[in-house]
Amino acid sequence: MMKERFEVRHIDLAVANAPVENGPALSIFWWKDLPLGTRASLQDELPYGIPQLRQLTAEYAAAQLEARSINLGAPLRATYEGWPKRALSLEAALKAEDLIESLDEFATASSASAHDISVVICTRDRDPALADCLRSVAAQRSAPGEIIVVDNSSNGNAKGVCGEFPGVRYVHEPQAGLSRARNAGIRASRLNIVAFTDDDVEVHPGWTAEIARAFADRDVDALTGLVLPARLDTPAQRCFQFTMGGFGTTFVPLTFDSRFFEETRPSGAHVWKMGAGANMAFQRSVFERVGLFDERLGAGAAGCSEDSELWYRLLATGGACLYEPRAVVFHHHRSDWPGLKRQMSAYMKGHVAALVVQYDNFGDRGNIVRICKQLPVYFLKTLVKTLFEGQPGRLGILVSEVQGWLAGLPFLLRFGWRKRRIPMRVTAIDAKGIAK
Amino acid sequence: MSYKLTDIELSEPLAPIELSTEQNGVGLIARWQGRLIGFEMIELSAGSVMTVERLKALADERFAGRIVVAKLEEELRERQPVEEAALPSLSIAICTKDRAQRLSRLLGSLDRVRGDHSFQFVEIVVVDNASVDAATREAVAGFRDIRYVFEPKAGLDFARNAALHAASGDIIAYLDDDVVVDRNWLAGLAKACRENPGVGGFTGLVLPYRLDTEAQIFFERRGGFGRGFARREFHRTRFDNPLHPVGSGTLGAGCNMAFNRALLIQLGSFDEALDTGAPLPGGGDLDIFYRVLRSGRPMIYEPQYAVYHEHRETIPQLRRQYWTWGLGMMAFLVKSYRTDDEMRAQHRALVCWWFYDQLKALARAARRFRGHELRFGMAELWGGIYGLAGEYDRSRARIQAIRERNP
Repeated sequence: MMKERFEVRHIDLAVANAPVENGPALSIFWWKDLPLGTRASLQDELPYGIPQLRQLTAEYAAAQLEARSINLGAPLRATYEGWPKRALSLEAALKAEDLIESLDEFATASSASAHDISVVICTRDRDPALADCLRSVAAQRSAPGEIIVVDNSSNGNAKGVCGEFPGVRYVHEPQAGLSRARNAGIRASRLNIVAFTDDDVEVHPGWTAEIARAFADRDVDALTGLVLPARLDTPAQRCFQFTMGGFGTTFVPLTFDSRFFEETRPSGAHVWKMGAGANMAFQRSVFERVGLFDERLGAGAAGCSEDSELWYRLLATGGACLYEPRAVVFHHHRSDWPGLKRQMSAYMKGHVAALVVQYDNFGDRGNIVRICKQLPVYFLKTLVKTLFEGQPGRLGILVSEVQGWLAGLPFLLRFGWRKRRIPMRVTAIDAKGIAK
Repeated sequence: MSYKLTDIELSEPLAPIELSTEQNGVGLIARWQGRLIGFEMIELSAGSVMTVERLKALADERFAGRIVVAKLEEELRERQPVEEAALPSLSIAICTKDRAQRLSRLLGSLDRVRGDHSFQFVEIVVVDNASVDAATREAVAGFRDIRYVFEPKAGLDFARNAALHAASGDIIAYLDDDVVVDRNWLAGLAKACRENPGVGGFTGLVLPYRLDTEAQIFFERRGGFGRGFARREFHRTRFDNPLHPVGSGTLGAGCNMAFNRALLIQLGSFDEALDTGAPLPGGGDLDIFYRVLRSGRPMIYEPQYAVYHEHRETIPQLRRQYWTWGLGMMAFLVKSYRTDDEMRAQHRALVCWWFYDQLKALARAARRFRGHELRFGMAELWGGIYGLAGEYDRSRARIQAIRERNP
């Protein structure tokens, strides 16, 4: 599985012809503009035959209809583990007719205008990737109101690339840290919706329009979207996608609200299941209510998880976040093993740091349970599984994860670090009477 | 302990299900417009009634989603019509030994479906596998248009091979004598053949025929033979399982399987040292599934191609069955380890996985004080150990002796 190069292949199931290409691939299935699911297959399993494509289509389409058609029990809310809770009834299933027609409706590309969206892209010493990213943003079906690039490098080297794209505002934030850069982007932005993506991402042409439609249709404070792999050329990329699960979440829209928060609270509210920072958007009012990104967290500071920590504050104060997979971006995973190991280590370290911050902010003991019990159990289980199944590369990643966890533990003891809060957030929380 | 096994048609108004005082549960076979879409077992108190509300709640949760999938499949079929292959000819092979009554039951169920089909022709071949008396021959004589073949060499795979050579259809569908076919069985097989021309074979759904004893209920609860209600495809390799197709039990069971007959002959037919009857009545199906997939031809699991299997009645019988599972599995693994050099690493890994999995299940059963599970688990584990310790060779010696007795 790890030896062969996998192609990332897009298949529109609404087109009748079965694909004829061969070779190991991760197929991403669409129904017109609606992403339906992915399936990885080896040479022997390809090409997919017509009966199999029909069956896959029916199963994917049924999931979409249950998630999106009010008649069939939609919308879905996330439950424990982030999976959807279905509300389909026998009666509704028996009555349902012209299902493909409804699917076509849901698959129509958004025609909403993105003029109210500020797109913020934070970058640091990655000019070629940033150029690809900006090209994809420039190709949006509905152009965003403004595009802001926050250059987090010390010498401002991304300025040249930005100059090639008219209409891109360049902001230089020399103090290292993704949270700092993102906050600089928020401060520089002027529109009602702030959408973030990263410099190692290429966005789908409908990305901004879908964000605009989702905020117009649904009364939510924040939004996350689908992050698909752009390429699976190297073993490290395939390991991240297939063994570690990638950024993969489901292909059906889900509402993460206080119920999800309460259900998962005993083990530290599973906010990391809500999405990825590479594809998220907020109503500006969110920042006024719960504060900006915590500058102690994020790449360049304690590690990742600054995104999920903000979602934690959002849900803890009664907000809701919609996961809408129609908003699609393509992420370039780390192509080499050292890069992937650094990333997984940083994820774990940042995760622990964020759990500490969340505990400090809200006093939920579940965060500590997660650090001291759930994560060690996860390491042990993974170890046994890896020894047994022998997934290539997994053991090395596990070592990195444990290293990240160990590096995160001191945050529990660093009281000076823990006291460094952003005043704005504390006021916001105090006003709601939630802080301990 | 006894469950009431009952069919419900979801497209019609539901009716409450009444239990007798001996029954303390329901096995629900759910259909939508005749199509099989789900099976659920629900424990209830003896003599109670399963109300329409409770049925509905269950249907909302378990069956409604499959109805939507089925409707979508129909809509897609209409929207993207594809020219499907013409049907080939079909031989139905039944291998039986001293079970005239069950054979009559099966032939009766086949009689109800065999008239209506579009195969080029359908023939039924009964292979009498060295039965001690004439009851089997007499049972066959009670039905019209059935070919009777006597195979003096006792052993299921001897009988299967006799059927293979006596049959004349392009496809050969095997049925064990302890099953009864569903009313969709032939139509389900026809659908699978039409949609998938050129595949190596088919397996189908196996549901319980009755759930009258503790052993039968236990077996079905522990997974039974069922492989779900969605069509599945199996190829030589599988992305999500590097050991595939060594663990070929996921494909289905030998009591309901069909193959391209020419392919089986080309592959050298069934291995007679497996499935020889006591003490090794298993492994032949695993072996043939494995060899078909290794030849590069895919196999299809089709849930509408369904039978009902009479599970073992008593706990000792069931324990013996688990023992033979372990035995058959290991005999198959030893055999294919020797004959398929390319896959040795996978065979070794599967043996490790199998023992690891058995021990894990045993530990779980012990922790929860599940007496039966523990005993069945032990039986399967011992079967595995015994099987690994030379059972395949012992079996080969036995069939050699059988061959010599029946030149």
